[in-house]
Formats: sequence, structure tokens, C-alpha cells
Amino acid sequence: MLKSIWEKWPFLFKLRFILGLILFIIIIVFLYLKVVPFGHIIYERDYTKSLRSGKGFILGFTPAERVDLKSAEVPRLIGDPIYFSVFTPRTFDKAKMTIVYRDNLALDTPIVEAGVLVDNILWRYDLKPVDNKALDYLMMKWNKIEEAGLILLQKEKNYNSLSDFNKDFEAGNLKDCASGLENCLAVYNYSPNYNYQISNYKTGQPIVLEKPLRGAHQFYVYLNNEPLRLEFILADLNQDLKAAPIEIKIYSGDKVVASESLADENLKPGSGEVEERKIVLNPTNLKPGVYKVEVKITDDMVIKKIVSSLSRLSFINKVWPVSNAGPLTLYTDSNYLQVKALNPASLQTINFAGLGFKVTEPYRQFDFKSDLLIKSKAIILKKDDVILENNGVFAWSPESLFNPSLPKVDRYFSVKTDAGYIVANYNKPLSEEGFKTATVDFDLKGAYREKGKYSFMISVPGLKSDDNIDDNLEIYQIKIELNGRTLWQKIWQ
Amino acid sequence: MAKNLAVIIRETFYGSFLLFLLFVILESIWPNIILAYFNLNYLLLLTIIFGLASLIKPAPRRN
Repeated sequence: MLKSIWEKWPFLFKLRFILGLILFIIIIVFLYLKVVPFGHIIYERDYTKSLRSGKGFILGFTPAERVDLKSAEVPRLIGDPIYFSVFTPRTFDKAKMTIVYRDNLALDTPIVEAGVLVDNILWRYDLKPVDNKALDYLMMKWNKIEEAGLILLQKEKNYNSLSDFNKDFEAGNLKDCASGLENCLAVYNYSPNYNYQISNYKTGQPIVLEKPLRGAHQFYVYLNNEPLRLEFILADLNQDLKAAPIEIKIYSGDKVVASESLADENLKPGSGEVEERKIVLNPTNLKPGVYKVEVKITDDMVIKKIVSSLSRLSFINKVWPVSNAGPLTLYTDSNYLQVKALNPASLQTINFAGLGFKVTEPYRQFDFKSDLLIKSKAIILKKDDVILENNGVFAWSPESLFNPSLPKVDRYFSVKTDAGYIVANYNKPLSEEGFKTATVDFDLKGAYREKGKYSFMISVPGLKSDDNIDDNLEIYQIKIELNGRTLWQKIWQ
Repeated sequence: MAKNLAVIIRETFYGSFLLFLLFVILESIWPNIILAYFNLNYLLLLTIIFGLASLIKPAPRRN
């Protein structure tokens, strides 16, 4: 029947039918790839292959000065951090990233992490472990227990299971630990339920901070049967064209206990006219303990003043003082300091823990290390407008300095640590013939996506392109397995 | 046979040109959905080749 119909058709009609069918199939295939109706797709890029039919989904590494594309057949990451974006034709809920790489890194860069951008204002990436050589080493040397996706490492075997360890940890009573939990336990990619208490806490003078700070900041406050009141005076500098919304949140653990936000109508973009705003947070019925305050603003805004009702206030990981009012003294609990001057006028010799360190170039990050074993180390700046960063906290007086977070197995962690326990959420990468393969899972539900692209980062803390050391990370392949809702779930749910 | 070949060349030119137009429209609606997989320059080159070939070897007109 069909055969007789086909034979009756003239040649031109048959030809057009075949070409039309091919066209139709091609369009359907591309629409299928756009919709991804089953909610699952894999994109990959093999850097050993130079020929590609299209642009691909995994786009190039940036910034260009941190990638060496010439000296090897594959890209060599020579600076930190490196960004790349992944184009997806639709949104997804989860991503599993597999990276095949060759590690030519020096001993002082033991960590490789990968992350996805979750906040474009704070420029925060949700970082996950790829490789941690300190942990790899201690996993061989110490007693190791794996349970519920976590690893418990013990210098001396005191516990037979992680649940036994957790019971003692929650009671604040770990075996062989007389010096406080924060001196006995280090963590990596894991935040245990930890009720931090300052021993012999006495209410002091409330902190009024009139040291302007530029951009987003986070800080800890500690309260013990005191009211919490925070007043912020902020200034929109209007030096750029973007709107400058304000969002301030107070967290207890991961839970938001109070928040305030202020939208910006952006009536004077780029005018340079300073607009002041005031926000007050006054949450009630807060339990004693540590609270984290997140001030989410753009770099075009300055926190001019913070009036708090509390005496303990420590900034987390970063401060950017911009008073332009001469010398400034801060305190930190960390042994190292990263300094970046964004203004040639801010180049100077910084005094950190009694030692002088020179900041000689703008826009270059300088790392300073101190071996001083005291809890609060002074940072004396002759001029401000420098970004100070480390893995600890900063405060404007040693009395208000406190750090409730447990030590992390980070770049500066020593395997000769005094801590007797480590709890980590970590999978060692597979190693074969010099190549390493690591798999990292990301939750994309809260990830930031712009113009169809998710932004990813590969971070090797301490890796610098301008230190004349031939260390790098060669990337051979990146594969991203994406999972999301199916078309039917999108339609019916 | 030569007549059929000329028709095939002409029709393939029409088809590839139509496909190119559809790809451009799809790409304008949903950026990158074609270019991520396929460089449109290849299709454009193919279209030009078939277009030129159909000029060199025109198919006979139907009465």
C-alpha cells in the first residue's frame, strides 16, 4: 500500500519529502536538547581534543592571566581562583562535576576546591572539596572511621564510631581533650552543632563602630541574657550605575532569626552623590550564644557606623576599612593575612604581629604569615582602603575579638596539629597513572544563573601566577551531570 | 540522471537555506541552543556551496 503510494509520487515530491523529514527531525532534536524533557543531561569538555563542532556548554577559563594555554596541550591553572561558566538551556536542581586533572602543585598549596556561585552580591561560591593533601596524609597516618558520609580521624583511637564521638562532642566532653573543643577538633567541609560559650563572660561596654567599611561584611556577635540591638548607618556612594539594595540578616546557626531589607530606587546612578540610609534590627527572645550578622550590600556602599548593644563583635574572614583617616589598628586571631590594596595611595608597610610587611603593588594580593603564638595579633595600617582577609576573625579591640568557629583543615593547617580529632565530609580523588579524578556534588537550587549560565570556580588557595614557581594544575576533562525536574513534573506540579 | 542531480542540488540548497534560517530564528529566541552544539558557519558554507552549484548547473524549468 505504502509502496504503491511512494511509487506514484513524482521524483521532486519524494526529494522534498525526504529533505523536509530530515529538517523536521533536526529541529525536533534541537528542541529536545533545549527542553531536556527527562531532566537529565551530561555536558563535558575534553581539553585534549582541539576540534569541536560548537561552542560547547563548558566555557573558557577566566581571568586569562591565571591560565596558561600555551605551554601544554591542556590548560594549566597557574593562579587562584579560576572561573568558568556552564551554559544550560534550562534550570537544574543538582550538578555532579567530575574533574580529571594532573596535580603539579607545590607543598604549600595542598587544597583544591570547586564551587558554584550562589550569591552575586557577596560574590560567594558554595565551595566543595576536590583534593586535600593534609587530609589524604592524615587518613593514612591516623585512625579512620567512615560513617554516614563523614570521616572521623583520631590521633589516638578513643572512639569506635562517629555516633559515640558525636554524643561526647554534643556534651562538650571529648576524651583526651582538656583544653576546650576548639583546640581538640578540626573540621573540613562540615559544620557540627556546636554551642559555643565564652567562659567567664562579663558584659562590657557596647560597641559603637565608626570605622567605615566598604562592601558586604559578616560578623559574629555574642550575647548572654542581653538584648540585641544593631543600628546601621550606610552610605550609597552612587559611583556606579547599579542599584544598591541592602539586606541584613541575623543567623543562629543556619537559621535566620531576624532580617531587614531596603530596596534602592536608584534615582542618582553614577552621580557620586552620597545617599545615607539607616537600618535597625532589634530581635527579641534570643537565646544566649553566638549569632552571625550578614550585611549584604554592593561595593558601591559603605557601612559608616554600627551601633551595637553588645561588647563582642568580630568580623568574619574579611574587612575593608575605608575611613581615609590615617593610622588604624585591628586585631585578628589568625596567623596569616592576605592584603590587597585597590588604591596606589594605600601602598605601605603593614605591621602584622610586630613584623613589617610591604604592600608594593595595587590590585596584587600579598600573603603575610606570623609564627607568633598569641591569640590576638595586631594589624597596624598607616593608611586604609585595603582589603584584609584570612581564615579567622577581625576586631577593633582585643577584648571584642572572639572566634566561635572550629579550626578548619585549610591551607595553613599543619599535620603536626595539637587537635586530636578531625571530622570531614570529604572523598579522596581517585588517582591513576598521575591523573586524578574527583567528583563534586552541587545543589543548584540556590545557585545564581545569569543569561543561562551558572558560574563555577576552581580554587587552589595560595596558587599565584606571579611568584616564579612552576606549579600548576593541568585540567584534562570537566564533565557536568545535571539533574532537574522532568517536563511532566514542570507541567503538572 | 544529470537532470536529477541538478534537481537534488537545487532542493538541497533550498533545504539547507531553510534550515539555516530556522537555526537563526531558534538561536534568536533561545540564545546558544544551536551554537553550543553546532557552528552555524559550517551550515552557511554548505548552503553557499549548494547555491553556487545550482547556479553552475541549473535544474531544468518546469513548464
